[in-house]
Amino acid sequence: MNKSFAFNPGKFGLPTREELVELRIWDLHYHGINNHETVMKYVNRMGVERVFSLDIGRLWGDSPEAEIVSERDRKLLRENKDHLAGLIRIDPSRVDESLERMREWIQNGPAIGIKYANRNQEDINCSHPNNDPIIELADQLGAVIYIHTWILVGGEPRRIDGGMKTGESTPMDVAELARRFPDVILICGHQGGDWEPGIRAIRAFENVFLEFSGGDPESGAVDFAVQEMGVNRLVWGGHLPSRSYANELSKVFDADLNHEERKKIFGSNLRQIAVPIMRKKGYDV
Amino acid sequence: MNRRRFIKDTVLLAALATPFQPWKGIHSDEKTISSIDGTLSADQGLIDTNIHLFPYPFRELKFGNTNNLLTKLKKHNVTEAWAGSFYSLFHKNIDHINSLLAEECRTKGEGMLIPFGTVNPVFPDWEEDLRRCHERYEMPGIRLYPGYHGYTLDNDHFVCLLQEASARNLLIQIAIDIQDERMQHPRVDVEAVDVTPLADLLKDLPSARVQLVNPFRHVRGERLKSMIEETDVRFEISNLDNTAAIELILKGEHPYVSGVPFPAERLLFGSHMPYFPLENGLFKFMESALSQDEAEAIMYRNASEFKEYT
Repeated sequence: MNKSFAFNPGKFGLPTREELVELRIWDLHYHGINNHETVMKYVNRMGVERVFSLDIGRLWGDSPEAEIVSERDRKLLRENKDHLAGLIRIDPSRVDESLERMREWIQNGPAIGIKYANRNQEDINCSHPNNDPIIELADQLGAVIYIHTWILVGGEPRRIDGGMKTGESTPMDVAELARRFPDVILICGHQGGDWEPGIRAIRAFENVFLEFSGGDPESGAVDFAVQEMGVNRLVWGGHLPSRSYANELSKVFDADLNHEERKKIFGSNLRQIAVPIMRKKGYDV
Repeated sequence: MNRRRFIKDTVLLAALATPFQPWKGIHSDEKTISSIDGTLSADQGLIDTNIHLFPYPFRELKFGNTNNLLTKLKKHNVTEAWAGSFYSLFHKNIDHINSLLAEECRTKGEGMLIPFGTVNPVFPDWEEDLRRCHERYEMPGIRLYPGYHGYTLDNDHFVCLLQEASARNLLIQIAIDIQDERMQHPRVDVEAVDVTPLADLLKDLPSARVQLVNPFRHVRGERLKSMIEETDVRFEISNLDNTAAIELILKGEHPYVSGVPFPAERLLFGSHMPYFPLENGLFKFMESALSQDEAEAIMYRNASEFKEYT
């Protein structure tokens, strides 16, 4: 049986691969580094120009396994500069170690930014004062700052954020951090999950950008983000491999945008943030 | 540079031109098959087995208007769409909303919209609602919302409904969820449907034609394995996610149910429009390496055969 991408997108009202390539798509949310060569087949298929791994040097400590993963990641970054860049994870409950890793991986290494994950060792979210030295150093380095956020319904009585896991940041936490660092660009990840309150929480902070991967492709979400924040503060992520480019591309093509606005969301806005540090690292961008 | 100033400057820059070098396409090898669009004809169109009409209770949807929805479906070569009603979720006068659905499809559907009314088997006189769906509104099937209607699949009334609907040779769609439960309105706590009882129920009812819509967020792992191996239930694909999702699930390599190949003839295209963008379902076919036969089966042939089967 010939399995050869039989589908022709142009015949079903979708952009062709060539049209996707022309949009110059940069994917800020890539989890495929453990299986990079395989996942790249699909990145290529969908015409995405560059991916940013959020899992660089994922294992902490000096265990043999951590050493192996770190070396692998350095090699991948070194050998795939044409399409791969990476951010390291920091942990606001381990400030000194986080700063040390930032110096190792960003100041003196190949990484271009930091990611706040959805959990950490002592359940410290991004609005906690522990984060101040981390953001200050990130700012000095010109690092991209990505913050996982979610708003989880639950609790008794139920509230929109009553089900939050400890240590997981909300867009409201990002807003509080943004208030303390008004000159630092922060990227609020996943549009807070529950995007209607999430977008409103960060709307007023012009130093906060929105990334909206990872949730279901609910129609109207990108329209709402553009309406509230403007088109210049949105960046795009694919969340491969646990999500799909089908899921994430559809959010943008659902929205009432012109070609130039789509280009901004798919890549131009992120290039404005990331290219300065990438050039310092020798990326030909 | 001051970052606030940087933001303002970049907005201006972006408005003028893209100031960076264009991509050189280093990893875009035009010789690789993945970089070439396929040749699958759109002549047969698509059958969308999962759309809803009428207002969604918690948000105004841009394609919530039937005329706009129809225009959108046609733009993407959808030639037939099986339509439920968002009124089904909370209304108690079930027959009234079924009649509205039938009328909307008849008057605005241009022959494309096929109504799937609902029945709530824990309401009184549900048998009459079922009869009207079949005889009065001539619907080919029904769409059930156990999570919203407050019953589980081991409920005796549901078992009776399954038997009665099968005796009428109606398609039975079961909506596993409508919305990601993590973002539900705080005053609404709807649990996803647990399909576990279905495998045993259907062993005693081999003629039942059952399709799960929006299944893949919650029907995974052992539950999915059971549905694949022990039933002939069909699955709608709108929330089948993961990179190359269709390709991987057919090969038995999808993380939802690793090691169990999914028969292509049991996957049916569905968009979950207007809640999801139609493009979500369509891009899945672009992202997966599929034979033409597999793609055609999932896009329209399986649904056509499933509906016509008697």
